[in-house]
Amino acid sequence: MSKNILEKAVDWGRRKSPWIIHFNAGACNGCDIEVVDALTPRFDVERFGMLQKGTPRHADVLVCTGAVTLQTRDRLVQIYEQMPEPKFVLAIGTCACTGGIFDGCYCVAGGIDAAIPVTAYVPGCAARPEAIIDAVVKLLTALEAGQKAGDSIEEDE
Amino acid sequence: MLLAVFNILIFPGFLFLGVMALIFAFLDRKIYARLQNRIGPPWFQPLADFLKLLGKESIIPAEADKRIFPLLPVVTLAAVTAAYLYIPIWGPASLFPFEGDLIVILYLLTLPTLCFFLAGWYSTSVYATIGAVRTLTQLFSYEVPLFMALLAPALLADTWSLSGMTAFYAANPVLLLVNIPAFLVAIAACQGKLERVPFDLPEAETEIVAGTFVEYSGRLYAIFRMAIDCELVVVASLIAAVFLPFYTEPVWLGFALYLLKTLVILFILALFRSVMARIRLEQMVKFCWKYLTPVALLQIVINLLLKGVLS
Repeated sequence: MSKNILEKAVDWGRRKSPWIIHFNAGACNGCDIEVVDALTPRFDVERFGMLQKGTPRHADVLVCTGAVTLQTRDRLVQIYEQMPEPKFVLAIGTCACTGGIFDGCYCVAGGIDAAIPVTAYVPGCAARPEAIIDAVVKLLTALEAGQKAGDSIEEDE
Repeated sequence: MLLAVFNILIFPGFLFLGVMALIFAFLDRKIYARLQNRIGPPWFQPLADFLKLLGKESIIPAEADKRIFPLLPVVTLAAVTAAYLYIPIWGPASLFPFEGDLIVILYLLTLPTLCFFLAGWYSTSVYATIGAVRTLTQLFSYEVPLFMALLAPALLADTWSLSGMTAFYAANPVLLLVNIPAFLVAIAACQGKLERVPFDLPEAETEIVAGTFVEYSGRLYAIFRMAIDCELVVVASLIAAVFLPFYTEPVWLGFALYLLKTLVILFILALFRSVMARIRLEQMVKFCWKYLTPVALLQIVINLLLKGVLS
């Protein structure tokens, strides 16, 4: 599938400017600290064009931490649905990937993919800031390689 | 007719101002990053952001007004671009100078603020409504000192046009020193107009998510961001034109001088942004009415007295 120059320009912009929004779906706060850590001047993610955004309307990447509890599941789906297409989801930490030690708990639905489709998983307890930045960069590299992350999202739905 | 279309679309209209806005937005972010001891974004970052937002889905909330909501970003951009047409870029006059263009520029620069208010109001989101109310409250505090500070030099020059002011101050360059208090007031008050730190209450991302722009996404938000970046260029050019009305004869040298003047003002604005924190709304109102307005008023009194002495 060949793309015209405008589509190529938009694709290029998409790779160079991933804006993230951070959501805690029920984590112990360990991974949240690491996500916030990754946004500090020490790591300077603005080099890759990443910006932290407050509203899901402006964000491209939903960075989720923690196992999805039954209390937060609806809110997580709501925030996901408020994001404009194309959108990507990163599951940060072991609990977000699989449910971790909370898997099977009476109040836990499971990993992030129990509620919304996930584009990339970052394991670790807690996931390191380097791993989080690496995940975003890999996500963008995958975009460049033409593996359109949106395809798998549509199939899941 | 063809020239008018060229002026609106290419120079000094949308294309030229857009490129300037992207460069200024990059420099602003880069200076901000360097002052925080970071490397900062690459040079193409504002362009990448703009293209990405253009390619995203634009969501109009079900509760929002379907006609006004998508219209507001365009009106903002149009108002800012129209204001730029009347600002001298090189040489002593703008492309369309007339008596009173300073007033028209100030009027056109008020429109974006009103559009931000309407944008927040018509979004019908709680955060956006709070942002909209803050926008208006801020407008009533900074607008008076900003107008007085920008009109005081014009009062001394006895003209309401930027070209007339340039001619007057070219003849009496010493009188520029009289306007230094007004310059400081204008620099402080224009941060409120541009909604930058410390007066970025309408957008305050750590309190009210993204304030006025909370519901804007995709293409509409791209145009809004572009309009805000353009506003930065226009306000910096306006302050340069009013307080530093120098020009040199060859066109390229005059243009280089214009760039130098506006970049100095951009650097001052970026410096303020990086060393200051956001203040509360009532602190902002108090600061504007208690300190900025009296200084601006004093400047007007000084200029009137001086005008009496000179004539």
